[in-house]
Amino acid sequence: MLYKFIQALDRILPFPKAKAHCDIPCGIYDPITAQINALTVVRMMDLMAGLTEGDEKAKVDFHNSISRYIAVKEEHAEKAKHEIRVIWGDFIKDAHVEKYPELPTLVHKIMQLGSKCRQTADRDAGLAFVEAINRFAEIFWAIKDKKIKKANAPYAPGLEMVYPDL
Amino acid sequence: MLKIIKVTGNSLSPFFLSGDYVLVSTFPRSFKRLHADDSVVFTHPDYGLLIKHVRRNFLDSKKLEVIGSHKDSISSQKLGLIPYSDIIGKVIFHIKQSRLSN
Repeated sequence: MLYKFIQALDRILPFPKAKAHCDIPCGIYDPITAQINALTVVRMMDLMAGLTEGDEKAKVDFHNSISRYIAVKEEHAEKAKHEIRVIWGDFIKDAHVEKYPELPTLVHKIMQLGSKCRQTADRDAGLAFVEAINRFAEIFWAIKDKKIKKANAPYAPGLEMVYPDL
Repeated sequence: MLKIIKVTGNSLSPFFLSGDYVLVSTFPRSFKRLHADDSVVFTHPDYGLLIKHVRRNFLDSKKLEVIGSHKDSISSQKLGLIPYSDIIGKVIFHIKQSRLSN
């Protein structure tokens, strides 16, 4: 609660930023965080759709649940975008873009789809968000020279995900 | 006087995570009472505004030795001793972001 308040103030009147940066890049990058966040977005869309099918709209519990689902959807869509931006900004180099020229367009597409997932409850946008981040993961692991495997996530919504085959 | 400052980077993880906020007390008189494990915000000529833990407080020379908690944090040797005049303030309150999503 306090954090949200301070964060809102920070957006209006930005506070000074003190760096706690590492001296060297830690080198730990993994698109799985973004993939799981995107999967969560679809899960929230499904939960929202399931809730609105019932006849519970007059009840306070409905509004409570739907508010929570929306909040989590918002948060995870933004987290997914953030994780992709970190890999894009800190890990991807010019040589990678030369080898995979679709990268700039793909990253831009992920940003736009993430925003659409926040603005709407459009499941197709959620699926496209997961798919685009999976494609990003495929390229990321190819850059790292790691084989990948595709498997359905072992939890709802059980969409196909890209994992490194270690 | 009090100031709110946003933390960026993870050299003080797991204590402070990037995106957390800290409330700092900027009263210079309190600097000589700083001791190990206190957290301070200061300006560094090479690295700008930084937040680190205090390792030692050299009262005679009015300087601090500071460290990060992450293994890859900028080393104390590289930072050098921090004169009191470069200290912005002592962290007196930590405003954490949610560590859990739901």
